[in-house]
Amino acid sequence: MIWPASLLLLAGGALGAFLLRRSWLRRDGSALGMIAGGWVVLLGLLLAAAFLVGPVKGLALGLVMEGIGALAVVWLGRVRRKAARLREMEAAPEPLDEPGRLWRGVLRTLLAGPLGMTAAMAVAFCVTVYLPGDPRTRIVIGGLLMPVLWGLAMTWTLADRRILRATAVLVATSVVGFGLAHLGASA
Amino acid sequence: MSNTRKKQWRWPLSPETVRSVLSSHSILGLAFAAVIYLVCVTGTVAVFAPDLERWEVPATPVARSLSDAAAARAIAEGAQHAPADTALYLALPTPAKEGASLVAFSPTFERKWAVAEDGSLSDLEAGWTDFLIHLHVNLHLPRSWGEFIVGLTGVALLSSLVSGILAHPRVLRDAFHLRLGGSRRLQEADLHNRLGIWALPFHFTLALTGALLGLSTIIVAVLALLLYPEGGMKKVYELFLDAPPPVDTRAVPMPDIAALIAQARARAPQAAPQNVMVERAGRADMRVTVLSGRAKLLVQQDETRFDAAGKVVADEHPEDFVTGTRVLGGIGQVHFGWYGGLAVRLAYGLLGLALCVVTSSGVTIWLARRRDRGRPAPQWERIWAAVCWGQPVVLCLTALLARFAPEAPLPAAWLAFTVLSILASALAKTVPGPRLARAWRWALTALLAILALIHGAAALPQGGAVLIDAMLLAGSAGLLASLLRGRTRTTA
Repeated sequence: MIWPASLLLLAGGALGAFLLRRSWLRRDGSALGMIAGGWVVLLGLLLAAAFLVGPVKGLALGLVMEGIGALAVVWLGRVRRKAARLREMEAAPEPLDEPGRLWRGVLRTLLAGPLGMTAAMAVAFCVTVYLPGDPRTRIVIGGLLMPVLWGLAMTWTLADRRILRATAVLVATSVVGFGLAHLGASA
Repeated sequence: MSNTRKKQWRWPLSPETVRSVLSSHSILGLAFAAVIYLVCVTGTVAVFAPDLERWEVPATPVARSLSDAAAARAIAEGAQHAPADTALYLALPTPAKEGASLVAFSPTFERKWAVAEDGSLSDLEAGWTDFLIHLHVNLHLPRSWGEFIVGLTGVALLSSLVSGILAHPRVLRDAFHLRLGGSRRLQEADLHNRLGIWALPFHFTLALTGALLGLSTIIVAVLALLLYPEGGMKKVYELFLDAPPPVDTRAVPMPDIAALIAQARARAPQAAPQNVMVERAGRADMRVTVLSGRAKLLVQQDETRFDAAGKVVADEHPEDFVTGTRVLGGIGQVHFGWYGGLAVRLAYGLLGLALCVVTSSGVTIWLARRRDRGRPAPQWERIWAAVCWGQPVVLCLTALLARFAPEAPLPAAWLAFTVLSILASALAKTVPGPRLARAWRWALTALLAILALIHGAAALPQGGAVLIDAMLLAGSAGLLASLLRGRTRTTA
């Protein structure tokens, strides 16, 4: 079952991406049918996989195989150019240059690392404590939330130039979050 | 015209915020690049762990099916070769996993056997595969620390994925662009963004599950402190694991395992037995658990437990499992791609390679940007070449070492090769980074072919599997073709 389903999803991913690429080549958004068709193929096959292969297994298989099919379309549409300097219009946005100061570097590391982790744990465990339902499900939801929240905290603290604001928010989140979680757990 | 402009969709972040987020993406990516890359490379190879084990031990029997009587025989034989307090885990052949294996495990003892169709055991000690898995899971550091660092790497990857998306306002405009051969920076940026975006669900799932697996110890520790200050971590684990029966070390005969498997099958006719676990075999406090799986479910959700006398003490089916337990069971399946056999392993291998390229090209873009701005970093270019192409070479060298000197300490060898390769590359000031990268690629091409030929020559006469050898040869041929194509273009 897995092999035929995989091949079908691979082909479906390629077909969906092919339709989307055709509309993308027109550049003016006029090929609405192709955009809709592309997404219908991609999402429809995901639903079919969830139904036929299994709700989680099929979805996981679909996302993996369709991704490969779509990448194959991107690869087949590659263009090879002669060595040239980067043109202005092709340049992606440049990262913001900040004057490097040691204390800012240390503080940012602390914010993105230990403090971000503490704040993420505080929020995740608040959810674990206050969410209704079986404790095992609440623990797993909290556990899954924690890396996501920590990742978001990392992105934000490293991007925010107002470093003291980030510090204040993370400290407050940690204190309030753990305080509330402790209160809820002892109740 | 003005109407069209009004309707045009705009990126929700201001250009300045995009640049700030890009700066965060850059800092995080550079800080963790080497560890993320190492974890991705080892993870990509570790997906093929079952195939690698057979590659290392070519004479391994691969059972297509295992009768209940053969399963019982395998467990009885395993119990004779393991201390009394050891747990025995028998994995039966399934559509997602070819072959049967038996593992005897206790905190002080671990041994693995392949199980033939008649239930006989043969050693399955695949030293290099074990080394590779531990390098991926805990970097061969003390377990808690190593897992924490790998978990932190997963969080950094998650964060990089989020910031990468937020800092990519041209996500639609460039959705299918793959411009090779022009500006180096544009080529690497196209590769980085296309491979990152189109395989995003895979990258995100792997980073999240990897982070959770790595951070589970610290999460459980803090949760225990908060929820069960008196019971500790044990209390949290007890929620998910069944408490063992009271200790009773009296010797008792083994129950009829074949009959227990048949009984479990009868209790869950829609499921097929996939694992048999025997704890404290031969003791009065023995427990036998038969775990069965259903075709459409990711995780085994039919579980029948028996005591030493073969009496059913628990019988659980999908409706008895809460969502949390199911999700927890599925995390490993999704992370390692265990759920779909070779098709899924191959797909994970391909997308794992894509994640390696995303990581590597991120650093290359930074290096190219510095060069474009007139601030090249030649030493970092050489060091990154040593990490990016050097690590696969080092892994090949450890595989050769494991082949010719099975007793050699592989973690120490890996560390020595890694340090030497990075130091030598950093100090080779006369060699430009791209030339060094090319030298590493030639070395990798040769080593992949050598490994395939050495193992293939040994495996073929014994009727062993040559899947890994074929993949190594394909990798070597692909690299060779790209190197020769590059040379032709340079000459032209």
